[in-house]
Amino acid sequence: MVVSREETNKQFFLDRYRTLGHRLAGDEKTPQAIRVNTLKTSDAEMMETLTSLGVKLARVPYLDHGYVVEESGFSLGASIEYLLGLYSLQESASQSAAQTLAPNAGDTVLDMCAAPGGKTTQIAAYMGNRGQLYAVDVDRRRVYALENNLERCGVENSLVYRGDVTSMEPGTRFNKVLLDAPCSGNYVTDPSWFRKRSIKDVHGNAEVQRRLLSAAVRHLESEGNLLYATCSLEPEEDELNMQWLLRNHEVALEEIDGPGERGLTEVFGQKLCEEISRCRRFWPDTAHTQGFFLAKVVKR
Amino acid sequence: MRLLKRFLEQVGSKMNPEVLSIDSKRFTLNQELGRRQFSRKSLVYAGTYLGRNRRLFEPGSQLLQMLAAEEDTRKVHLDRDVAWLFVCGRDVFEENIRRVEGELELGRYCLVMFDGRCIGYGRYETSAGIRVIRNLFDLGDFLRREGSD
Repeated sequence: MVVSREETNKQFFLDRYRTLGHRLAGDEKTPQAIRVNTLKTSDAEMMETLTSLGVKLARVPYLDHGYVVEESGFSLGASIEYLLGLYSLQESASQSAAQTLAPNAGDTVLDMCAAPGGKTTQIAAYMGNRGQLYAVDVDRRRVYALENNLERCGVENSLVYRGDVTSMEPGTRFNKVLLDAPCSGNYVTDPSWFRKRSIKDVHGNAEVQRRLLSAAVRHLESEGNLLYATCSLEPEEDELNMQWLLRNHEVALEEIDGPGERGLTEVFGQKLCEEISRCRRFWPDTAHTQGFFLAKVVKR
Repeated sequence: MRLLKRFLEQVGSKMNPEVLSIDSKRFTLNQELGRRQFSRKSLVYAGTYLGRNRRLFEPGSQLLQMLAAEEDTRKVHLDRDVAWLFVCGRDVFEENIRRVEGELELGRYCLVMFDGRCIGYGRYETSAGIRVIRNLFDLGDFLRREGSD
């Protein structure tokens, strides 16, 4: 019997997840979700409008402005309300990153890998279009999507730079930084994930993430917060990177409350710092979201 | 600035924003960003997007929302079905306009409104003997522009 690369990969990764305590099927899904844009409307107004159009929404209990779409007779990415920027399509776990960073009007925030801008627009909403929000990304096409999202959502407090954030010198330090790092992703949001991913990719991404983490710490002011997020289930990109960060920089991890499970402190037989349990890990089988990882870092 | 000014006059606005230019794009900064020193190197977007200069000035949706908040600007209001056709790029027949604010003049621009918000703008003109608001920009552009970048 010939076993495809996809099947071999799938088994390899599912075995790893089992070792980490989760017996996953590899076909878990996450429901479509929206986030109400409070720069332009309120949850109540948006609910009323979408309900009148026949959309059934359920509030996500751990999110400030997030709703799961239970039923819709039309594409929510092409309604007049979407084009007006009254809401965005954003997966539930993904919404918890900016929420955990908790930016506000007095902050100077850096969004390091900002495009296509879902989290950038969410940060701007928390800031009420006040303060300063620097958004950086390296990819021209993705920056174009970021610009469109900022315009659509009515963001007024952002400065967008196109370039490599690891070598950029923005001329200021930030009290909050979001590093939603480029990562291997996960099979929940990408049906072809098992076909195209390998452990080599995971290691390669982890290395890039460490460079970005170092840059993030450099851009932070003392006692400032870094929110590190990936949509990867792989410990190399998550807890093992946090172990590396704690060993190589003057930082500590802060407790994150909310959904998901605590960060792993033992990975494939390797004991990690207890502090890493303060991180949050979203498993598709228990959180019913995509795979996701959050760490809240404070610079000492 | 000349093209932007001409556009603002055309739509009946008295707005006179302080403008920051990045290539052909035009922005305005709120007070907090305006008093901040920031690097211009690699900057591609700043503050509130007004639009960009092409042959004519092409307004962005943020400028249109600002104009919609002005009392003096000309506006036509549509119901949902007609508004949907408009954001799909269609012109609006005069008979399908629900309400007009200000005076429509042939050849002049007007903002196109749905549910109190601006969804684009057009020019009031005669086409094959029928009065229409000719679609010059609508929010459906957000979906179209990324595909054509």
